[in-house]
Amino acid sequence: MIYLDSAATSLQKPEGVQYAVIKAMCSMASPGRGSHAAAMAASDECFVCREALAELFRVPQPENVVFTFNATHGLNIAIRSVAGRGDRVLVSGYEHNSVTRPLRAVGAEIVAVKTPLFDTGAFLEEFERRLPECKAAVCTHVSNVFGFILPVEEVARMCRAAGKPLVIDASQSAGVLDIDFQGLGADFVAMPGHKGLLGPQGTGVLLCKNEAKPLLYGGSGSSSRIQDMPDFLPDRLEAGTHNVTGIAGLHAGVKYILRRGTSSIREHERALLELTAGRLAAAPGLRLFYCGDPRRQSGVLSMAPEGMYCETLGERLGQRGIAVRCGLHCAPLAHETAGTVDGGTLRMSFSPFNSAEECAAAADAVVEILKNP
Amino acid sequence: MQHYIIMCRSLTYAQRASRALERAGIFASTTKAPQEVTKEGCNYGVKVRARDLDRAIDLIRNVGLPTGRIIGLDEYGRALVVSE
Repeated sequence: MIYLDSAATSLQKPEGVQYAVIKAMCSMASPGRGSHAAAMAASDECFVCREALAELFRVPQPENVVFTFNATHGLNIAIRSVAGRGDRVLVSGYEHNSVTRPLRAVGAEIVAVKTPLFDTGAFLEEFERRLPECKAAVCTHVSNVFGFILPVEEVARMCRAAGKPLVIDASQSAGVLDIDFQGLGADFVAMPGHKGLLGPQGTGVLLCKNEAKPLLYGGSGSSSRIQDMPDFLPDRLEAGTHNVTGIAGLHAGVKYILRRGTSSIREHERALLELTAGRLAAAPGLRLFYCGDPRRQSGVLSMAPEGMYCETLGERLGQRGIAVRCGLHCAPLAHETAGTVDGGTLRMSFSPFNSAEECAAAADAVVEILKNP
Repeated sequence: MQHYIIMCRSLTYAQRASRALERAGIFASTTKAPQEVTKEGCNYGVKVRARDLDRAIDLIRNVGLPTGRIIGLDEYGRALVVSE
């Protein structure tokens, strides 16, 4: 199989991930639930994973690294911490439902910055214009549909200057782009463990400052006599038993990234994007969402065929063993902004383990199918 | 007293404290304190030998971690709060 759906879930993992998961399953219990060897092994594993994540994202202390079950879980915590009923919240026009649905659920009014795809200048101008009327901001780092890299450093600078809390959705950038949590000064950065961080499904990370409202309430293994959640991180946000096997796998994925370096991973994915887009230029009747500027697009490439549903094209590719994703990608706002909400797009997304040969074969298959529909 | 537990704010703080002490060559382990000497229940600390206590407290504070109660453990394992 040629797997080009890593924006949803990375399928190929470093070898150490499987080993770490099995080792944890066979030898680790729950952190903070006892002083026996299996509990302490779990505590140690969680701690070293926090330390590795703190190193990767330049978080000053490991306790500000909170484990979640996915990015959506972290975003729900973050959004409930910064917004409530009636609050206006500024978002980019490229947000996922994991941002817009929680905002709607808390009763916030969403103010979307809908500016043309890949136009960083227009986005910043509109974001700055709308920020004063909003209580907080949520911004994705990279669009999961188009790979558009949003200028989060400038967004963070504006929010800091205006004293507005900022939540960053790093679902598509964690493990691929450089993220400096301390430098950004964002209140929260949420990310999944199972995409660019190369960990197992069911893992996620929320980087946070000290003020945060719990989403889940329950046992934390600490301050058990107190009937509120502890007032310290990470315990305040980590109710219930941890996904220790997942965290062990995530740690192995993060170690791989630290060894290889995000700049190397980004360069590899950039080269695959360029190669794929170049070959797809020969496809008849294919609208390609490629900007040609690696500063503005990560390893995600959307396309929309004319005269064929993208689902049909995706199915035909699937029959050839090529895995892609079609539709709205849980981000209708992004499609509204880019004008593709009616038909959706077919998306190819790359990983550190894809080869140039795989991408060339996938692009050539698209060209062939469109030439012989 | 043979050992002391230096109480920490959380398990993660206790783990950080243990690491800091180990890096300084002090044998230390993260441990759960007996319930009868904890204020809030289920609290963690770092266990050190009696002779290392003062240096350990200084080291932990020097890396910016607050310390809580100091609990002494006698040769029979009985716990006694020796400092708030």
